[in-house]
Amino acid sequence: MLDYPTLLTILGMGMVTYFTRVFGFLLLRNKTLNDKQTRMMSIAPGCVFIAIIAPEFLTGTLGDILALCVTFIAALRLGMLGTIVIGIASAYGFNWLLS
Amino acid sequence: MSTIKTPQHPFVEGMITAFPLLLGFVPVAFMLGAEAAQKDFSSVLIMFLTMVNFAGGSEFAAIELWTSPPTVLFIIFVTFMVNSRHIIMGATLAPHIKHLPKRKILTTLFFMADEVWALAIQDISKQHKLTPSKKGFRFDFYLGVALSLYVTWSTFAGLGAYYGGMLGDLHQYGLHMAFPALFIVILVSMWNGKHNALPWAVSAAVAMLAYQYLPGGWYVILGALSGMLVAYFQGESDA
Repeated sequence: MLDYPTLLTILGMGMVTYFTRVFGFLLLRNKTLNDKQTRMMSIAPGCVFIAIIAPEFLTGTLGDILALCVTFIAALRLGMLGTIVIGIASAYGFNWLLS
Repeated sequence: MSTIKTPQHPFVEGMITAFPLLLGFVPVAFMLGAEAAQKDFSSVLIMFLTMVNFAGGSEFAAIELWTSPPTVLFIIFVTFMVNSRHIIMGATLAPHIKHLPKRKILTTLFFMADEVWALAIQDISKQHKLTPSKKGFRFDFYLGVALSLYVTWSTFAGLGAYYGGMLGDLHQYGLHMAFPALFIVILVSMWNGKHNALPWAVSAAVAMLAYQYLPGGWYVILGALSGMLVAYFQGESDA
């Protein structure tokens, strides 16, 4: 089962993934950022989050999109556990209602 | 200053913080294992893959594209494309961890999956608000988050390969909403009014466009970078 190409693929995946994780750090390690660059880097995490979830609005079912809206409202009031539970429950509920 | 609550060790605090995410990790890892079993992966082999790689999106992509024998370079290339968003994530972490000893930096970066990174960023800003004088990054907290997700991911991928397709389609349970919900919680906590609005809107629009028209993980990279660029020039016009 564990043939040579399989092992090579898995190890290669591990290596490039680790490379992506280390590379961004190496780029910025010795840099001192000016104000504009600092502003840009401090907004980066939010932009990554947005970019990851935005396509969900294109690919999700109507139930998923409604659930995302409910989750957003929940997030304004509740902590992480509560919001995640409501997100899951509303996705289940809306998809069940609309299927 | 005294606290009423007994302070938890940061490692334990990290494990507790990661706990709600396990609701999403357990079934998704199980599904990854079940799909891997369809491609003749044993439990041990999929566990090995997840422990070496620890980046869920690329693992689903790899299993999807897996043939027997696998097209080695193609799968490695797709893995790189899907995971190239880590480059931006690592860059955002750099100023918070560069003072650490090398072995801690390399360990931190090894475990930097999306969700681990997200909780780390959130903890950094929380700690920074509590004590602005200190560095916000807590290595022990990070390890608590990372190891509980790492062990869970790998274990349930292995179980999934063993018990096969018992779970069926995830969508019927709504469990696929766990990760978007986490991201939304953190986004809400990051919101600080007009400074976010334009970059975030641009990120969202570009990500959706790229998702429609470009392959692989480009949508995350282009979406994130375009929002960052807007923030960069927005700063200029404010000054």
